[in-house]
Formats: sequence, structure tokens, C-alpha cells
Amino acid sequence: MARSARLAAQGLAIGLVVGLLTLLVWRVANGNGKGVAQALADGEHPTAPAFDLSRLDGRGRFDLASLRGKKPIVLDFWASWCVPCIHESRRLEAARKEYGNRVAFIGVDTKDFSGDAREWQKKHGITYPSVHDGSGSVLTKWGGLPIPRIFFVARSGKVVGELIVEEDLPRYLREIAAS
Amino acid sequence: MKRLFPIVLVALLLAPVARASERHPTLAELEGEVMCPVCETTLDLSNSPAAQQIKRLIATRIAAGDTKTQIKDRLVAEYGSAILAAPPHKGFGLVAWWLPVAGIVAAAVALGLGAWRWARAREPVPAGPPLDSALERRVDDELRRFEG
Repeated sequence: MARSARLAAQGLAIGLVVGLLTLLVWRVANGNGKGVAQALADGEHPTAPAFDLSRLDGRGRFDLASLRGKKPIVLDFWASWCVPCIHESRRLEAARKEYGNRVAFIGVDTKDFSGDAREWQKKHGITYPSVHDGSGSVLTKWGGLPIPRIFFVARSGKVVGELIVEEDLPRYLREIAAS
Repeated sequence: MKRLFPIVLVALLLAPVARASERHPTLAELEGEVMCPVCETTLDLSNSPAAQQIKRLIATRIAAGDTKTQIKDRLVAEYGSAILAAPPHKGFGLVAWWLPVAGIVAAAVALGLGAWRWARAREPVPAGPPLDSALERRVDDELRRFEG
């Protein structure tokens, strides 16, 4: 009886250790996925990870997948505490005047207070709609900090590229508008 | 009962402090309980713009008379539960609180069992049957010869 109890306890302990090791290996291997930014850097064009978040303006929710096959997208990750975001969002606002009827411009306010974010939009004259990603979970799937991060998604739903240098904006806009 | 007295006394002394902290939290204590969402440290260790924004909000809410729970609830509503430095006392967060306790209890049980078995192994072996008189005499003779 004592021997079988000891064997059972040992088996349980070994099982626990093996289980924890497996979990660790799985976590290291998968992590949060490599993110869209890393996939693009590796020369891939992944399908845009879907999200469904509340709109900052309070007009319900926005589902990214709802635009798949219908309209190309410019996705702008920003926050009201992010100083460089002001410049990039203003550039997108200007570009929207030319491409707004062919391309959807969507902001993702991330790791931010929604109240401050709404004030920030008003203050800087940003009129394209934004959703609120307070926890930053959507940002993580797309590549994480730092922000601003701006991605270009073709009509098919494939991510074409990320804005790295200033010249990328007109180039990618032309590309996705023609997709 | 005498042993319980100091514990009860300390609990009674600390209760008003905890209640005051809940009703009238300070910025300093909340800075140690809330994470900066972009730097993975608590607010008191960060001066990033995101951390400063949250500190401003906390100061505003303290001035408005919010309790600690109300302020934390507001932060969680905006940022998710990861904004709190300590996991919540509910749902999956309970695992983080109770797993160490379970580990300590399991270790204590294992140690206790080990000590018990060790003590049992050291108990004197019961004496065997007495030697017969002839053999006893022979052993005595041998010992005398050996000592002499």
C-alpha cells in the first residue's frame, strides 16, 4: 500500500514537472506569434489579424474583417501620450483627402485613456475613425510597441507593408488603392 | 487563545489604516499598485509619457474623492486587468494568490512525512531472543581471553 502510494506520488510529481516543461516549451515556441511587423520584415505578407473593438466616438464597434474583400485599409496605431503620433496622424489625415473614397483609414488608440484620446483627436484635427485598444492586445498581434505603427492592407486582406520611412506613405497608398 | 491575542490585536490596529487607505488613497501608494502599460514597471518607477498620463488621472480622481477601488476599476476598464501590479482576487487571478500557499502547504506535508519516516527508521531494533546459556558462557570466555 505504502509502495503504491509512493509510486503514485512520484508519478504525479514527474507528470507535473513534464507538464510544466511542455507548457514552457510551447510558450517559448509560440509566444504571441511573431506579429505582423516581424512577418513583413521576413518578406511575408500575412492576412491582417482580425479584431473587433469599440469605436472611440461611441458609435458601436468596428470589425476589421468586415472590410475584407471590400476596401483596402490604412491602419494607424497611436495614443494621446505619443508625441510622434501627432505628425503621422496628420499626414494620414491629409492623405485621406485624396484617398478617402478608395481606402479606409482606421486608427487604433492603444494603451490609452479613451477620454484623452478623444480630446487628442479634436485638438489635432484627426477625423478618421478610431477604435480603443486599451490593453494593447491588438497592437501586440501587429508587432507591439513602439508607436506610431502604420500598416497598409490590400483589399484581399493581406498586409502589404508597414510605414518605415516617409516615402512609404504615398508608395503604399498607391499600391493598396489599386488592389 | 493567548497565542491568538497578538494576531487579533494587530488585525484590529491595522483595520482602520486599511479602511483609510481604501477611502482616501494617496498617489504614492497607487503608483506602487498600478503598472505603466508601456514600460512593464510600476508607475513609481516610470516617467514615461504614458505613466505620467495615468498619474495625472489618478491625482484627478483622488481630488474628486474616488475610493481606491473606484480608481482601480476605472483603470481596469480602460487598460484591462494587466494594469494592476497584483492579480485580482477573483477568477484565474486567484491561482496566483493561492498557488504559493498550496506549494508551502504541500512542502510542509512532504517535510513532515519525511521527518516522520526518518524518525521511525531510527527507532531501536527490538532485541532478539536470549542466547542459550552455553553460548553465553562461550562468549564470556572469549571476551575474557581477548581482554586478558
